[in-house]
Amino acid sequence: MSFAVGLAAVAVFALLAPALQFMARTRAWPLGPVALLAIAAVVSHGLGVTLGILVVPQFQYWDAASVFGFCVMAYVFAFGAVYKSVSLGILLSLVDRPDRRAPLSEIVERQVPDLFRGRIGNLIDGGLVERSESHFAATAAGRNMAGHVGRLRRAFGIGDTSLYDFSE
Amino acid sequence: MNLLPGPAQAAAIGLSLAFPLLLLLYARIAATGGAGRRFRLGCVSLLILYAVACIALPGQRQVGDVLGGLFLLGTAMMLCYILFSLLAWGFTLTLLTALVQAGRPLTLEQWATAYMQGGDLGTFTHNRLKLLIGAGMVVTADGRLAPTTKGVAVAHLVKLVRLSTGLG
Repeated sequence: MSFAVGLAAVAVFALLAPALQFMARTRAWPLGPVALLAIAAVVSHGLGVTLGILVVPQFQYWDAASVFGFCVMAYVFAFGAVYKSVSLGILLSLVDRPDRRAPLSEIVERQVPDLFRGRIGNLIDGGLVERSESHFAATAAGRNMAGHVGRLRRAFGIGDTSLYDFSE
Repeated sequence: MNLLPGPAQAAAIGLSLAFPLLLLLYARIAATGGAGRRFRLGCVSLLILYAVACIALPGQRQVGDVLGGLFLLGTAMMLCYILFSLLAWGFTLTLLTALVQAGRPLTLEQWATAYMQGGDLGTFTHNRLKLLIGAGMVVTADGRLAPTTKGVAVAHLVKLVRLSTGLG
């Protein structure tokens, strides 16, 4: 029964999370998609626990929390996969064309540079990079974050190219 | 309400907390290969340790306890994968680290060259396309790209996920 309570909380999350994303977009809330997912998770988990205490005589918190955590993380995983994937962005742009075909040169010369400029815009909006005329430089916050990322990459033995290694 | 996890769930929580430490350990062993292979090895190790814990722990196992433990392990693996993949293959983060490593303000073109470590955006595009081509989602012919039936199906699935998660 505690697992069912966890699943009920998942259902609340699955309704609340997209509703929050939609409202944030239409009402221009200053909250990022990840923060909205976190709010939806905390609220739905809280509601689930309250429901469990009220309805189930011997409510097992970890039974409910385990299935809730798993399903919410699967949701976040799927969300992250479609949110800003470069590969899926290329695939979607191909499928959306009337003839479903595009010259490779157009992807290289137009779409990828556009993606590049979009991500630079995100870094500027996030206060990590600043632009002065035609040049870009990292802010103190950007240098700080890059330092943390570099240390984590070294600790976990991760390279700094962001390219997929197909030899593995 | 019972806040105490079952024995298998407690083992799963302990293993989940130890998972990043296991990845740190594997990063120090050259034979474990690249980042992706090391992560998969970490996941398999975690499942084996969980199975051993379920057998070795005293008392009889409850199905709900073992199932809850598996959900908790799955949650930890997905959470770690999201963070690990951001570090390893994150486009925006690598843009930032490339700019900081350059040590001076860069123009857009210089930044792209620094990001690709001497290569160009064509190299990056080909790397991302290799993923789509390898997965059988896109084919190339005469310098043009076209989605396969599988690619079109994946694109529709991506659109469905985007719609249902509120990304539009």
